[in-house]
Amino acid sequence: MSKTLKGITLKGSAELVAEFFSFGINSILYQRGIYPAETFTRVTQYDMSLHLTTDSKLKNYLTNVITQLKEWLFDCTVQKLVVVITCLETNEVLERWQFDIECDKAAKESGAPREKSIKAIQEEIRSVIRQVTATVTFLPLLETACAFDLLIYTDKDLQVPEQWEESGPQLIDQSEEVRLRSFTTSIHKVNSMVAYKRTNSM
Amino acid sequence: MAECDAEWELCKENIQPLRQGRTISALHQALCQQQEGNHTALNQQKQAFESELRMYDGDDPLDVWVRYIKWTKQTFPQGGKESNLSVLLERAVMLFTADKRYHNDVRYVELWIEFTEGCSDPMDVFRYMQAQGIGTMQAALYIAWSEEHEKRGNLKMADRVFQDGVKCGAEPVDKLHAFHRALQARVCRQMMSSVTDPQRDEDDDEEEPQRSSLAELKAKGKKKAVVPINRANASAGYARGLQFKQPLGPKHNTRPVIFDENKVPETVPQEPKFEIWTAPPAARAKENEQKPEKWSNVKLPMKSRSGLSVAVPPPKPSFQPFVEEDDQPPAVTPCKINPAVNSVLSARKPCRLEQTPLKMLQERQLLMQTQTQEDGKSREQSMYCRDLVYSGATEFCFEELRAERYRQKHARPADHSTN
Repeated sequence: MSKTLKGITLKGSAELVAEFFSFGINSILYQRGIYPAETFTRVTQYDMSLHLTTDSKLKNYLTNVITQLKEWLFDCTVQKLVVVITCLETNEVLERWQFDIECDKAAKESGAPREKSIKAIQEEIRSVIRQVTATVTFLPLLETACAFDLLIYTDKDLQVPEQWEESGPQLIDQSEEVRLRSFTTSIHKVNSMVAYKRTNSM
Repeated sequence: MAECDAEWELCKENIQPLRQGRTISALHQALCQQQEGNHTALNQQKQAFESELRMYDGDDPLDVWVRYIKWTKQTFPQGGKESNLSVLLERAVMLFTADKRYHNDVRYVELWIEFTEGCSDPMDVFRYMQAQGIGTMQAALYIAWSEEHEKRGNLKMADRVFQDGVKCGAEPVDKLHAFHRALQARVCRQMMSSVTDPQRDEDDDEEEPQRSSLAELKAKGKKKAVVPINRANASAGYARGLQFKQPLGPKHNTRPVIFDENKVPETVPQEPKFEIWTAPPAARAKENEQKPEKWSNVKLPMKSRSGLSVAVPPPKPSFQPFVEEDDQPPAVTPCKINPAVNSVLSARKPCRLEQTPLKMLQERQLLMQTQTQEDGKSREQSMYCRDLVYSGATEFCFEELRAERYRQKHARPADHSTN
């Protein structure tokens, strides 16, 4: 408890942000129906009910990514995390959830904790996830079976770890972009955005 | 910007999701306009579409309708009566039923499919479409139809519809096949989960419509005795006590028809036969889709006003709903509703989305039948351009038409300024 009073350290911030991504990605996968709804279970986090996958392979994959991400967050070398949703059959990119991460590199050097309570941060995170959920009001229905992919943008000089590979940005041509809320731990700032394919037909 | 950003989130419950998504700018605009109460711009655009509908003299009149409807959907995110969408769809769909060149036009077929979503029984509309040859070459029809079967758990029929589509050579074939693959995958998954979890099966059974849901609503307020007809899936499993299980009173102002035991009630086969439908069945025909069940509490729909004058035999063999004699409510509200309330009820009827469109269509078809039968013997003849006045979603007055013509004449050198 005393920790919350003191503020937030780089390590704590990295953990909070990584946790956000873990829940955020799960939410997106659930909301957009990438994986069948039966394979999700409800948990309570950030004072709301969220869905977490129970699919062991997916869980593994996500844990891997998040662990790696946490490291990079701690090093302040990560710039972006992107969830790309593609059509399984045509490989066409249909949706792109982009989370821009701004790291305050000064925190890495000084190491001094910042003044911001976990409560306030979680409040912000909650509103981001709420908004992610609310996007169904304008996102097009994904009519085909879809797959997802995670892209992480890091600083250029970073060594690509095993199990990771370089990738293109996988942009959508003719897309509609909607900026969502952002949150900050005062060390990491995360701006979210969703892009989806613009359809001209009815 | 940030302010407007929040706008869509604040209104998220009031935004109807669209299959093809919404453009965020249009959404913002619509929401902002609504908040400011600025309707003039909206009305102007609407008026422009309305006059274009009437003045269009190109060779693709459907195009205007399609644009108008698309605009309406984007501009009225909450849908509802204000958007007039159901009326628009209905008009557009009816306008071209006789127009062969549109029958397999993707846009037209999609309008139809959208129209069915507002109907209480899409199945009948699909069958009607098939009988009329509307969209029989379009994969979209079979997909929508099959989906509807799937939704009701009739997987065999869903598959059959798909086969029909393939047989007819509906285009695009690969879309149809992709749909079928997805359907199969869903069926497999469902079977797998029902094996592991038999509980779910029972739940599915309970989704059958239960009339008691009507009573549940009624019990809450006597004045608001208007109950939408297909409440079924809205509240499954609300079985209440027996005393609530009476008909909801004179919803349709018809006397209850007494069941004649000597007549064999027409049981409707689960799998519909494809007869030639001269007119789509009444909205109430919904019951026919379901398994035979209790026919108490069912009433005949009100005779259409136009049908009253001529004794036209109904297009479908009609059956008499079975009302048990002793099922009359003892002394509860429905019988006692005074005529004043009655008229209120009937006045609200046209707003009911799921009932009017199909009925209107049927009415029109009936009218056309009588026309051919009587050959215009005693028909009304309007000595004004009736079709122009009423052709849009709203009524135009002569002055508006004249003004439009005047404007057109003067704007001829320049192109259409309205669009």
